[in-house]
Amino acid sequence: MDILTWGRNPWDQPVLTHISWNLLWAALFAGLAFLVAHASYMIFSAHRKRHAAETDAMEIARADLPDRIVRHSLPARLFHWLMAAAMFTLLITAFLPVVGLRFPWVTWHWIAGLTLTGSILFHIIHATVWLDFWSIWVGPRDLPELRAELLRDLGHDVPGPRPGKYPLGNRLYHLAIVVVALVAVVTGLCMMVRIRTPFFTRNPYLFSDTTWGVTYVDHGLAGVTLVGLVIAHVYFAARPEKWWITKAMILGWITRRQYLEHHDPDRWAVRQLPTPNSATPNSTTPNSGLASPTL
Amino acid sequence: MAVIRDVMPAFELFQPTSVEAAQAVLDRYGAGAWVLAGGLDSLDWLKDRIRRPQAVVDLGAIAELKGIRERDGGLEIGAMTTLTEVVRHPGVRERYAILLEAAEAAASPQIRNQATIGGNVSQDARCWYYRAGWPCYRAGGNICYADTPDAINREHAILGADRCVAVNPSDTAPALIVLDAQMVIRTAGGGERVVSAEDYFVGPGIDITRMTVLEPGALLTAIRLPRTWAGAQFYFEKIRDRQVWDFALVSVASAMTTSGSTIERIRIAVNGVAARPLRLRAVEAVAEGRPRNEATAVVAANLAVEGAQPLGFNAYKVPLMRNLVKRAIRGVEAAAWTS
Amino acid sequence: MAGTLVGRNYTPPDLVAKVTGRAKYAEDFRAEGMLFTKLLLSPMPHARVRDIDTSAALSLPGVRAILTAYDLPDLDGQERALTNEPRYAGEPILAVAAVDELTAADAVERIQVDLEPLPFVTNALDTLRPGGPNPRLDGNVWGPPPPPREGAPPAAPPFETLKWTTEDFAEEAQGRLPMGKPAEEWSYGDLEGGFAASALVLDETFVVQSTGHHPMETRSAMAYWRNGKLFIHASTQSVAQTRGNIARWVGIAPEDVILICEYTGGGFGSKGGGAVSMSIPALLARKANAPVMMRITREDESYIGRARTNMTGRVKIGFAKDGRITALDFFIVQDTGAYGPLGDHRSAGNAASLIYQPPAMRWRAVNVATNTPPRSQQRSPGPMQGNGIIEPVMTKAAKQLGLDQVAIRRINSPEGKAPFGPVLPSGRRNHVTSAFVKEALDRGAALFDWEERKARAGKRQGSKVRGVGVAVGPHGAGSIGYDSIMTIRPDGRLYVQSGAGNLGTHSMIDLARVAAEILDVPWEKVEVVWGDTGKHLPWTCLSVGSQTTHAMTRANHAGAMDARRKLQEIAARDLGGSPEDYTVGRERVYRRDAPSRGLTYVQAARRAIELGGRYDGHDLPGDINPMTRASATALAGLGLMGVAKDNYGRDGVTYSFVIGFAEVEVDIETGSVRVVDYLGIGDVGTVVNPRSLLAQIKGGSCLGIAHALFQKSVVEPRYGVSLTDRFHYSKPLTILDVPRQMQADALDLPDPETPVGARGVGEPPVGAAYGAVMSAIADAVGEDVFRRAPVTSDIILMSLEHGRRMHEPLRMHV
Repeated sequence: MDILTWGRNPWDQPVLTHISWNLLWAALFAGLAFLVAHASYMIFSAHRKRHAAETDAMEIARADLPDRIVRHSLPARLFHWLMAAAMFTLLITAFLPVVGLRFPWVTWHWIAGLTLTGSILFHIIHATVWLDFWSIWVGPRDLPELRAELLRDLGHDVPGPRPGKYPLGNRLYHLAIVVVALVAVVTGLCMMVRIRTPFFTRNPYLFSDTTWGVTYVDHGLAGVTLVGLVIAHVYFAARPEKWWITKAMILGWITRRQYLEHHDPDRWAVRQLPTPNSATPNSTTPNSGLASPTL
Repeated sequence: MAVIRDVMPAFELFQPTSVEAAQAVLDRYGAGAWVLAGGLDSLDWLKDRIRRPQAVVDLGAIAELKGIRERDGGLEIGAMTTLTEVVRHPGVRERYAILLEAAEAAASPQIRNQATIGGNVSQDARCWYYRAGWPCYRAGGNICYADTPDAINREHAILGADRCVAVNPSDTAPALIVLDAQMVIRTAGGGERVVSAEDYFVGPGIDITRMTVLEPGALLTAIRLPRTWAGAQFYFEKIRDRQVWDFALVSVASAMTTSGSTIERIRIAVNGVAARPLRLRAVEAVAEGRPRNEATAVVAANLAVEGAQPLGFNAYKVPLMRNLVKRAIRGVEAAAWTS
Repeated sequence: MAGTLVGRNYTPPDLVAKVTGRAKYAEDFRAEGMLFTKLLLSPMPHARVRDIDTSAALSLPGVRAILTAYDLPDLDGQERALTNEPRYAGEPILAVAAVDELTAADAVERIQVDLEPLPFVTNALDTLRPGGPNPRLDGNVWGPPPPPREGAPPAAPPFETLKWTTEDFAEEAQGRLPMGKPAEEWSYGDLEGGFAASALVLDETFVVQSTGHHPMETRSAMAYWRNGKLFIHASTQSVAQTRGNIARWVGIAPEDVILICEYTGGGFGSKGGGAVSMSIPALLARKANAPVMMRITREDESYIGRARTNMTGRVKIGFAKDGRITALDFFIVQDTGAYGPLGDHRSAGNAASLIYQPPAMRWRAVNVATNTPPRSQQRSPGPMQGNGIIEPVMTKAAKQLGLDQVAIRRINSPEGKAPFGPVLPSGRRNHVTSAFVKEALDRGAALFDWEERKARAGKRQGSKVRGVGVAVGPHGAGSIGYDSIMTIRPDGRLYVQSGAGNLGTHSMIDLARVAAEILDVPWEKVEVVWGDTGKHLPWTCLSVGSQTTHAMTRANHAGAMDARRKLQEIAARDLGGSPEDYTVGRERVYRRDAPSRGLTYVQAARRAIELGGRYDGHDLPGDINPMTRASATALAGLGLMGVAKDNYGRDGVTYSFVIGFAEVEVDIETGSVRVVDYLGIGDVGTVVNPRSLLAQIKGGSCLGIAHALFQKSVVEPRYGVSLTDRFHYSKPLTILDVPRQMQADALDLPDPETPVGARGVGEPPVGAAYGAVMSAIADAVGEDVFRRAPVTSDIILMSLEHGRRMHEPLRMHV
């Protein structure tokens, strides 16, 4: 199977044109294969969660916490769903014509691409200024968590760190999306110079043939990788044991019990919102019953 | 690997005598097969070694694809009927004179003797970058050489461009669209599918490598001219650099019926401005029910070029198309000079 | 000189073969064991060949040999048939010989050529910019040719680097040609005074396009070697003059070349002295030890087949109230292509000074090399481009001064021995042998119903508007000093050896009409021998520059007079009296006072052989060319030989003129132009062959009309590749683009400086039609609608739509 498609420019020099669309099928296959493998494993595995008794005890100890704990603010959720819509539009407009379902896709594709770009820019600013920017990142300090989670996945009841706000898998996925989507977005923005948009004069000669070839290949690779990543993402979102996370992305909050059961309160500390009349934690202010995560 | 042009490479030539036999060969060779009608377009591609089929299926020996027959009060023209035969047919002359004019405007007398109407409507895009074998979008690449800041694109599209800015060069296509011609297709599976001429053509947005809805293995077998527009008032004009052997810069075709001075029904189509011949439905809608005069023509013509996006060298196509649409609605005043 | 043959129509001996298809052109020949060759062309406009891998090609069954630039003799830096430094896209790098063309083509595809791209330029102005790319490693501009030295061959002009300053380009944005430091210039008269005294000064820029020659027959050739001699069937305009070129290109002696070219499918200047590509089958045949046929395809031809130099010209002209030109300042940037250099720009300057007779004039030019297909002279090289640049300005001036277009040309036109060109080292300017332009203008205006047509010009009917135009096309029309050989043989026939090429003009045969006229031989008894250097041809002019009719009627006049003198001498010797007592007529030489006393030509021919010496060619004149001497020696003893060099005097330089009159109809809604009527009037000296002459005027006019309306060459600027590589892209004229009743006529006034009175006609109609049609378009839709050619519908429509010119102002090759 050829991975790359080559052409010859008017000077008879070899130029990269794009990836082989066989890679799309490979990505689809890889995504689905992972899904099947993971689902099968989950059926037979015995993932160790916190014992119910332990969670009960914690709930009593932390009765100061509100019933509902804010996991995703409204802007964060809007961003997520906007990005998801853009991503689906991008993938559909990109790949349906490849598989033979033909329609005028280019305009929708770049509009969705710009939407995605905009939402990513918003997200970066929002996360930097208003959220705990580093809560989603992965670093060396996550190694103990990785070890603990792996062991738990293998059925061992081990001590060790539990996830902060975002479980490690979540964060690893985010990292992959960041890299791949940024490649897709940056290459895609460059590629807009090659088509007709209202923004600038079309100039396919902006870069050399080689640079363009690499750009197209990177965009294609990012595109098919996204197919796999999106399959995995949707799959996890749909899994019953992850449903509480999915719900949080819709409603914005999780229950105190879910918070205590799945997270390490030390790594994701929740504190009371400073409200003007915070005499009692469960007052009837608009923020009643809600707590905000640490910033 | 060096490039060499103008030497036809070897291939297997099949000359089947039935559509079924032709399709059997097409099926056997799949993407390696090439359908040859009159050969005017094909031979360019083959001689330049840009298209390298293993097998060429010459439809010239299939009797059922040739000739013009009466059908349901209209005419059915076999896809392999030559343009000269179309031009000379009395039925075409009497009822569908616009097709005569359009077919006679194609290429040169010698070419019309060999070129078929099926080939004329199914021919590939005109763009000298694409035809030079450059790896553009239409050729499966990722660039349009004709839409670059310095490109020389006087003959290219002003409407409906989607990455590719090549144009459809068929002279008969706009005439067939205004006649509401029905294209009879034998699908790869052997079934018959009939699509209107308007829907026969696809733009680059839908499929950047094809000009028509013909799927691989399918054949256009006939073109049916229904009674609908027989004997209507027709207008056809093709503007080109040379008076013979030249593609249209812009062409226009219209058919209309009038009641008194009011336009009852009208159909209008243009070619040479987009990758597919365009039926101007908005123009039709605005012209119908209005008097056939300069004012209607101006309103309609301005509407026709709405959304046109000229390139570096083809902005003239906007006024040209506008003026031709105008003429197609109000007609032209003949000059009184005798010589 | 008009008589029973000269000035009358006849059927030339090659005609039936041509119209029935029996005529054999170069590619119709076959030889035992013949191979075919295909060329590998450079995809890049400028590159260096780093490496060639032919192994995969050579391993293909049927491949016999590969010829590269290393196999070619060095030509002192001049263009060779194959190269290792391609200077234009489409330049041949190597040639493969194989058993058939398909194998050769498949072999070419298997060859890997490693090319290193080098800087290139396609627009001549771009290389003149500060820091602009050079088309060649050693510069960008051809300098003026060094002054000729007595006895030495003309030296090559220097190749230099010239860059203009940013300030020089300041006017570019306004569409006016930048005028930096010229590489060549001359002037005479008081230019500033002329402008100061004028009532109107116009300063206009015009872009003249390049056009491929595209003869119907491409430059195909077939060659084989026998006993150390090269036999080559090729396509050339000039047979005698091509032999030496082939010898030089192949690296052998001229005597070892036998060139066969009986029929040529057109040349238009692109095959003047043959084509350098002829050396490919010649050298490949030697390498493969087998005959080799090289069929040049239309695409090959579009690259190697030559093109006209394109010029961007700027002219500033001062006019007095009555239309008389007071001063003319002419600046030309010429694109001379990848090789050359061409001298069209100099001819354009000379022509302008001739047809407008300005009392003061300056000419400046830059002759720029670019990485575009090579140029050669194309039918009216120079004057035609000059017509394009200047004639629309004359039309504009006429309109602004309220004068008639014919009148403004008439008042400025040359008359008699009119001067032209720069002041020579002798302190004087050149002059023409004769000019009857005023008579031609008057005759044409009357024949064309000029006044009637003018009255309806500019008036609209529906969307149509008409216009009329006129232009004076000049061109050099004759050289001198060539030789002729003819023999009256015992079979009673006159054999005339013709070394001219058969490029369709009939001058190759017409020259024998003069000999037959002088010797009074009926045309049925004249045998013209042509088209094969193995058939002993005399030293003959190149069939270029409209010179053949002039040069070779003179030479054959001299030869016939020599034969006539010898007839008289033989008669006097045998029958008594002095040679002056005898005259010739009705195939006899006889006493003037006793016509019954004489010899028939048959008898005289036998006597000449018996007498030998100078009578039958064993003793030859001392002043004839070595080629003539060798040919005459080979023919010696066959009959009475007339052999002579043209030593007739000539006062002046021979020029011909054709006046073009055009009426066009422009559709202002579409921009389409139709040439309604056209007339060409020739001031071309004595008419030798009326039918052919009028066909030449009409045919040349067709070329000019095509140039005015649509013919062009387009080069893609990004990749430097020619896009007009097919007929339907370059758009030569079709028969439906010219008026059904195209007219032509000639004054038939003899030139006083040549014994037959005939001048050439081939070239001047081109510029006349080019200028006349563009003047007519300007007359119809306005003088400022266009400043470039071809004047296509897009240019007209956009200008009318926007009320000002919208086209690319200065860019070339669009």
